[in-house]
Order: sequence, then structure tokens, then C-alpha cells
Amino acid sequence: MHRLLLQTICVTMCLGPVVLAEEVVLAETAVEFSVDVMSILSKSGCNMGTCHGNLNGKGGFKLSLRGQDPYFDYQSLVHAARGRRINLTAPEESLILKKATGAVSHRGGVRMSAASAEYQQLVQWIQQGTQGPSPHAPRVKQLVVSPADAVIPAPLDSAQVLVTAIFENGAKRNVTERACYELSNLKAQVSPSGRVTRSDFGETTLIVRYLDEQVAVPLAFTTGEKITWQEPQAANFIDRHVNAKLRRLMIPPSPICDDSVFIRRVYLDATGRLPTADEAKTFVEDPNTNKRQEAVDRLLATPAFADYWALKFADMLRTEEKVLDVQGVEVFHAWIRENIRRDTPLDQFVRELITGTGSTFEQPAANFYRANRDPATRGETAARLFLGTRLQCAKCHNHPFDRWTQEDYYQWSNLFSQLDYEVGENKRRDRLDKNEFVGDQIVLVAKQDEVRNPTTGKVAIPKFLGGPQLDANSDADRRQALAVWLTDPGNELFVQSQANFIWYQLMGQGLVDPIDDFRMTNPATNPALLEALADHFVESNFSVRKLVRTIMLSRTYQRASEPLPSNASDTTCYSHVQIRRLPAEVLLDMQSDFLGAPAEFVGYPEGIRAVQIPGVQRVRPRDKAPKAGDRFLKTFGKPPRIMACDCERSNETNLQQVLSLLGAGLDERLTQSPRLEELSQGQLSDSQVIEQLYWSALSRSPSTSEFEAAHALLRDPKLSRQAAIQDLAWALLNAKEFVFRR
Amino acid sequence: MHRRSILQVGGAGLLGLTAPKLMRAEELQTPIKPRAKSVIFLFQWGGPSQLDTFDMKPLAPSTVRSPYRPIASSADGIQVCELLPETAKRMHHCTLIRTMTHNMKNHASAGYYALSGHEPPSDDQRLRDSLDLYPAYGSVVDHLAPNSNGMPTFVAYPHVIRDGSIVPAQHASFLGKKHDPLLVLEDPNDRNFSLPELSLPAGLSVDRMHRRRELQQLVDQQARLLDYAAEARGFDEYYQRAIGMLTSGRVRQAFDLTAEPESVRERYGRTTYGQSCLLARRLVEAGVKFVTVYFSSSIGGRRINDGGWDTHGFDNTRMYKIVDQYQLPITDQTLPTLLDDLEQRGLLEDTLVVWMGEFGRTPEINKNESRDHWPQCYTALLAGGGVKGGYVYGRSDERAKYPAEKPVKPEDLAATLFQILGINPGAEIYDRNHRPLVIGGNPLHEVLA
Repeated sequence: MHRLLLQTICVTMCLGPVVLAEEVVLAETAVEFSVDVMSILSKSGCNMGTCHGNLNGKGGFKLSLRGQDPYFDYQSLVHAARGRRINLTAPEESLILKKATGAVSHRGGVRMSAASAEYQQLVQWIQQGTQGPSPHAPRVKQLVVSPADAVIPAPLDSAQVLVTAIFENGAKRNVTERACYELSNLKAQVSPSGRVTRSDFGETTLIVRYLDEQVAVPLAFTTGEKITWQEPQAANFIDRHVNAKLRRLMIPPSPICDDSVFIRRVYLDATGRLPTADEAKTFVEDPNTNKRQEAVDRLLATPAFADYWALKFADMLRTEEKVLDVQGVEVFHAWIRENIRRDTPLDQFVRELITGTGSTFEQPAANFYRANRDPATRGETAARLFLGTRLQCAKCHNHPFDRWTQEDYYQWSNLFSQLDYEVGENKRRDRLDKNEFVGDQIVLVAKQDEVRNPTTGKVAIPKFLGGPQLDANSDADRRQALAVWLTDPGNELFVQSQANFIWYQLMGQGLVDPIDDFRMTNPATNPALLEALADHFVESNFSVRKLVRTIMLSRTYQRASEPLPSNASDTTCYSHVQIRRLPAEVLLDMQSDFLGAPAEFVGYPEGIRAVQIPGVQRVRPRDKAPKAGDRFLKTFGKPPRIMACDCERSNETNLQQVLSLLGAGLDERLTQSPRLEELSQGQLSDSQVIEQLYWSALSRSPSTSEFEAAHALLRDPKLSRQAAIQDLAWALLNAKEFVFRR
Repeated sequence: MHRRSILQVGGAGLLGLTAPKLMRAEELQTPIKPRAKSVIFLFQWGGPSQLDTFDMKPLAPSTVRSPYRPIASSADGIQVCELLPETAKRMHHCTLIRTMTHNMKNHASAGYYALSGHEPPSDDQRLRDSLDLYPAYGSVVDHLAPNSNGMPTFVAYPHVIRDGSIVPAQHASFLGKKHDPLLVLEDPNDRNFSLPELSLPAGLSVDRMHRRRELQQLVDQQARLLDYAAEARGFDEYYQRAIGMLTSGRVRQAFDLTAEPESVRERYGRTTYGQSCLLARRLVEAGVKFVTVYFSSSIGGRRINDGGWDTHGFDNTRMYKIVDQYQLPITDQTLPTLLDDLEQRGLLEDTLVVWMGEFGRTPEINKNESRDHWPQCYTALLAGGGVKGGYVYGRSDERAKYPAEKPVKPEDLAATLFQILGINPGAEIYDRNHRPLVIGGNPLHEVLA
């Protein structure tokens, strides 16, 4: 009883005082199309993308997507199809009502009952003569949802929101029953009247939509377990923000990982390599209390750091041979790598990409535009990479989950419309392939056609996304102004999306996730931390390396991946480290290092590491068959770099991958491994061999049971020493702790 | 990866109804009665001519009509090409859709349309395969209605088809790699045909593989990843499955063509395509849900004994000196054999066979006495599970140039396939921008048996 009471109090406190909306009822006499009818169309789901909101409508009836255009919808409802959808003389006989109630066959099913307020209001609207959208209709100024966020501890399992629309004329209306609700994941369910009920512990975001306004409400369902909170230590500001959230949700973090897990983790994250047996052992045995920081500093200064982090940027910048040519790929990749090596401030790096011009073989940054060849693609790519924003939806209609309109899309595109290419002699090998470019080309600024908004047919005045307009008549290179605006430390989306990108690389999950999907309806899981990371990034002059270092030195980064019973359901608060499959290139290089033999790739000299490969496919498969290394990378998800998106890389697992590990591919590598051969022929004792294999593959000693099993294997008279070592090596290379980063 | 799925609760609370998305989920759970258990999709890459196969127009002028004559078939009122006499005898099993239509003139974009049921963004001769594009039908099936019988849901072979570049929609695209087909690139007509993936490495005994697996399991116990990480468990389950496939198992047996009597192998024809069709029968018999057989790896059309149906008469070749010696005889040997074999084994009523290309060919015979690309009107053949026999859907005009009535878009055919497999064609999949995308158009209820 007492405990329950406490929790109830806690909820009330967390929810804050529930403000009951002051009901200033709008004139009830006339049904207002753009408020009442439009909200009914949304609430009933009529205008969803899969129903009549579809680009082509449904069943000959089209509405604007999610009610973006009341005038269009009015035409559709009242005038289109010769007005057959409305029956003024017998309103109840109107097709829209009979369809919606299922009185006549409706592929979209029954949407409302004849007893509902919505039905009554539609009848009333028809009775009143189907008035269209009025220019004097009150417009929603703001949507207030109470609570604005909430923690809901068990045994409570649901929360009711109250939604108030505030109109420009000052009127307020309780629209809880009329608003639309969506949840960001399956942790809970929401009823049509705004009650959110837990399905699982964890966080979810409730998106509340009413007419043109949307509000995101973060909700957390916690176990409500009674724990004595012990404030975790903090190494830096990251931990303070993470701990604050953990405390709010009463989720205790997992302990710090042990040294052998740590050294493996930082090697993999900083350089895409494993520590050698000696490196790992030396680190684990080192009594120095500052050794973790020293290891981080040492690794960030290695050339391997530049190799590995260049790969991440090369993925997103579409460093790919078909468009850039083999030479372009080399030039561009070398430039990216050099910038990482020198730790060029990321804002400067982006400015160079945005303003790149000239010969793509001589001016590496110009390859950004060689890969992105029209204003729309350039705009989408720049928004995605540098503002963490997906604009594609707004190409055809206003973005349904974000604030971007179709006009925004084309105005942004028009910033990129002045470019042209001097292609010269394109010696493409496939003359029919207009995506292929061979040879140099020159990116130049030339007056090109202005981008027009296809809906209005008018030139879209160049305008920064969410920022000011440019003078359309100026002949100045729009990209110069863009570069300055884009990379301004005050440009929150730029700074936050870039900091989030680096956070994601190390933590496996963005604070905003997916990392290219910043929008009001997809809020950061820890907004204060994201802001602090962004500030830190600006203060350290956009140094990628410094930000990586700060994250790696946090205790949050150094936590174990093994959850505690009390934090196992957490996926958003960083109470423990999420495990993830290692990227294709890293996995292959790890095998190669362990086996002492490099993988082979068609078109590259022997010895190149997979993470060092500048492009995707240097030699076309039709010219020369791919080699084992190429096949491995494809199977394990190296991206083709056709899209400027991190999402192209797949770290999923599938059957084909396992078949390749079980089959001839890996087996050949084992039997031909000089390293294993050496171990089987050399002077080392069985115990030494076992130790050596474990430390090189897993950065740890074998346990007693592992040791015994390995010994038994090596002593098996039916098996050659060579074969025994291969079998043990196979088991290590297929261990989950080898394949996954933990 | 953690992917957000947006649960739509747009409204419809008016009846206390659940939200549209939830309702759709419920609709999906109220199963559509499956009319077939499996689909064998025989993709005729290159584009067969409707006028020289299943939509003969003997009354058309000589500049249009086929040099071949139509013959009667086992179905009343259906005539087919005289070079398909055996196929003619099985038309009572078949539905012909003679009004397939779209606007993609290039192989890559039309091929993508045919294999995905979604119109490509542009009619690009080298449409680039990307994760923006839709998955193959089999991948959608694996996503929405995966097999639970231990067999793969989707198997595709014996080529990756390309025309200059790889044609999209041969894999799972944005649905994720785990829904990719089991892709077999070995030649079923090869004497030593076997799956390298399904064979132990040379010199590795089953015992040794089990020992490796035991050691792996011992190592896995130490880090406990399997106890707390679903991703690791998922990966481990693939080992379980893969070892099952390697050591015994129906998958391995299904791929073992040597288990077939010589006479059966001969009947299908000792060609890559013939043996591929035999393999398809073995696969559906073993419980695979979606089998895609590509007729050829290239669009072909310039040589006898090789390539697909793309007979323009380029390089001084002639269509009617190729199709009559290669594509049509192979078709007339293989398709009837497959239908007979399925029927004799009682599989035909549970197996839908689809035979179609990415488009048809121009009604007007060109200056090379051949035909060029024609997507505006062509024929698809459906047979067996779930469809009417001896039935024609739609009618083309007098030159088979445009649909005269009941045009059918590839998305409608896709919807029909899904419907037959018991998958709601209105089901949604989500792309990487969270766009809810409906998998099919309008199913052709009239062709359903």
C-alpha cells in the first residue's frame, strides 16, 4: 500500500500538474470545413498514404496526404466525381458517409459509426450546405499536450494524454478525442482517445497530430523496482548527462568493462583492427591506472585511425568507381583520408565539399558533385549528410512527419542549380550506361536553369533549409553563402547531426536514430547530452579526433555489454553497451591478421587491407572474376555506395554468411594459413599454442574448460596437430565474441 | 539494426475501432485462404514475343503476323503457336493474361518492374540497383509469410540477370539481407551440380565439422553473448540451420538432381533451363515457397543456344532463325514436362507456375525481319495452383499492340501472386524512409479458380 502510494506520487510529480484545458468553445453553429471536417478525415484515417491520401488516391477518390490541403480535399469531397459523394437532400445518403460507416462496400473498411460525434458533425456539415474552407477559419497556433513527457513506473501501465489546441484567435479547445496518435515503436499501444498502454518496459515517443500541428511526447515505462540509487561515477560531461537520465528512469548502469574487453573495443573502434596477442596482454597486465587514456591517445594517433575513419566518410560520400572513375576514387579517398589524418576541422571539410569545383582528378572535393549530379540529388544528399535530415518525402508533397514543405525542398535544391560539368571525352566502357563516367571532368559554376516547384510551376527562390532566402538575381555562387550558413557553429542541425554521427559510430546507436532522421517527431533520446556533445564539438573546433577521444574516455563508452537484470530492457539510455556485428571489412581484416595471410581483392596489390580499399569495385566482374576477399565483403554487407546514406551498410547476419564461414571459403584460408602452419611446426608447447591463439583471436586467456578442451583436441591421436590447430582456430574465428563487438 | 516501425493510430476511434495500421495487421491475421503453397516463377529474360507464342494474330497483315501458324490447344478457343505443340496440349491448365501492359522500354527498368511489381523511377537502360528500389517477390514473401518448415522460403537461380548492369529486384533490398534468396549460381545441367554452400569443404569430415561447432559453442559459453544478446542468438541459429543443411536435411536432398531417374532428366531437357525447372519441382516438393528460375543470364537474341529472348535482328541475325531453334523448342520441352510432372505428383494444384518476360515485342516486324521491345501489350501465362485452366484474361487489339479490354499492370499481377499465396496484397512494407508501401495493386479475382 505504502509503496503504491509512493509511486502514485512519483507519477504525479513526473507528469507535472495536469492542466485541464480551459474550454473556450468555438462557435458551434457552423461546422468549419478546415477545422472540423479536416480533423475528421485525419482521425478516421481517410487521408493516410495507404488510403485516399495516396499519390493516386484510392478507388478514384483522392485526398491530400494527411490533410495538407483543405482546398483540394474540399474539391474532392464536394465537386469531384460530379458531386456524387454528397447528397444535399438526404445527407445521410451521402456516399462519403455510407462508405465510412460500411453501409456500402468500402475497401478501407468501416471508419466510423453512425452514432459517433464525427458522423453527426459530417451530417451537420452537409445539412448546412457543405461550406468550404473559410478564409476566416481559426488556425491552430499551438498544440499543447499534457503531460509533455512522462515516466510511468509499474504497476502503472498506462497514461492518458490531454491535447489542447490553441487557435490564433486565442480560443482553446480540448481535442483529445479528435487528435491522431502514433507511437515510435512497439513498446506500447495507444488508443484512439490518447491512452498509451505499456507492452514492454522502455521508452517510446507518442506523436500527437491535430490538423497541421504535431507534438512529440517522450514516454518511459519503467519497472518501478525499488532500488537504492547509487550515483554512478562520471568521468566527463557525457556521463553526467547519461547518469541523469538513468536516474530519472531508475535504471542502474552495468559496471565498467574489464581490460581485455576494453582494449579490444578501442582498437576496433579507433582502427578497425584487433590488438595483437602481445598488445592485448601487455595492456591487461599493465598496472598503470591511466592506461586506458594512454591507449586511446596512442590509437587515435595511428595511421590505422585515418584508414578506418576514412572508410566511414568514403561510404557516405559515394566514393564509387562507376561515377567517379577509378582515378577519381583514388584521388577522393586519399583526400578524405588525409583530412582525417590531419584532423581537419569537420566544418572546414564540409565547406570544401560544398564549394568544390574544378577537375575531379585534381581537385578532390569536386568529386562530391561528380557523384551528385542534379540539384535535387545534391540537395537531398547535403541535407541528409550535413543536416541529418531526410527531405525525399517533400519532393512530392509536404513532409508528413516533419516541417518541410514541398516549396522548402525546391528552394533548397535551387541552391545547387548553378553547377555544370565539362565532361570531355567520356570513354565509358558501356556506351549505354549513362551512369558511368570514365576520365576526368570539370565541375564548374555556370548559370543553369532555375529549379521550379512542379506544383506551382514557379521558380523556387533559393533558400537555406529553415533559414533565410538568397537574392535570386545575384550572380554570386550560391554555394559560397550556403557553406557559410551551413557550417556556422550556430546552425544547430549541422552541429548536432555531425556530433551525433560520431556518437553513433562509437555507440552503435545515435542519440537521434536513425542518424539522418532529425525531426521534431523523432526527438533525441537524451536532448541535453546531444546539446552538450554539439557544444563540445564546437568548442574543440570541430575536431573529430577530440570528440572521439572524449566519448571513449567516458564511463558510458566503457560500460560492459552484459546487462543487469534491472537494465536489460533498456535500449535507449546507454545503461550498457549494445553489441553489434563488426563491419565486413573489419571482420575480414581480423581473419587475415589472425591467419597471417592477407585476403585477395581483384585489382589491388597483395597486402592491402579491406578497410584501405578506396572504392567499391575497381575491376568490373565481367572483366575479371571477383576474388575471395571481394565475395566476402559483399556477403557481409559492404555498401555499394549508390546512396549517400550510412544505412546502405548492412551489419545484419544471414544464412549465406554462415554458409561461407562453414564452407570452403574459410576452410581454405585455414589450411593455407602460414601462421597456423608455423604454430603447428614450431617449438611452442601445446599450452603456449593455445594461449597464443586465444590472445590473438579474443584478446584473452582461455578459461579452464576451454583450455582442457583445446588440450584434448591437440592430443587427439586420430587428428594431426595441424588439423587440430585449424579446428581450434575455426572455433575462435566463429565465436560470437569474435564476430561481434561487445 | 533497430528500426522504428511507426504504429499508426490515425484515428477510427469512432467505433472504438483500432487504428488503420493495427486493423491492417488484424486483416493480415485473418488469413486469406491460400490457393497455392508455392510459386515457380519462370522469368523469360529478354522479352518473348506475344505474337509468336500465346497471342497469335493470324488475321493481321503480313507485316505484323507471325510467320508461324496458330494451332488449336487442349482448351476451347485458345490457340497457340504451332512451334509449341506440346504446350498446346496443356493449355487446359493455364490462364493467359493477354493484356499485360506498362511503359518501360528498357530491359533493366522493365525487368525490375516485372520482378518487383513496382514501376521504376525512370526508364533507365542501366537502372542502378539500390536500396531505394523494391525487393523481389520472394523476399516479400519471406518477410510477410516465411516458411516454418525448415526449408528456405525463397530460392533463385541459376543466374544473376543483367543487361550491362545487374537488374534490380533480385534480392531483398530494403527488407534486409536476411530476406535475400538462397541464390544458386551453379549450373543444374552440370554433371557435378551441387551447391558449394551445401557441401562440406574438401577433406573436412562431418565429424570434424561437428567438433568445430562444439568448440565454438564452448567458446560462446564464456562470453555469454548468447544469453543476453538477441543478435548473437540470431547468428547462432543460422549455424544450427546451416549445419542441418550441410549434414543431412531436406535442403541438400532437394538439390540432389542425381536422385532423379535419367528418363526424367531427359524429359526436362539437358539444358540449364530444363534442369533448372526440374530442380524447381524438387524444391517445391520439399516445401520451398517461392522459386525463381531465370531463363538466361543475358538478354541474348543474337546466337542460337545461348541467351534470352531479345531478338532484334541486330548484327545481321534474324529472329525467326533463332527463336524457332532455341527459345521455343526449349520452352515446348520444358514447360509441359514441368506441368505434367507437377500434376503426376499431385503438386500442380498447390503450385502456381508463372511464365513471363519483362515485356513483349513490337507488332510490326522490323527491317531485320525481327521484333523490337514492346511493353504496351504482352502475355503472361499462369498455370496450376489457384488459377483457372483454359482461361484467357483480357483481350488485345487486332495487332496485339494495345490492350483492347482489361489492361493488367505488373503490380496487379503481383497482387494476384500474393493473393494466391494467401498474402494480403494490401499488406504494407516499410522502406528506409518509413514510407508505408503497399506490396501489390489489384488482384485479378477473375483468374482465380
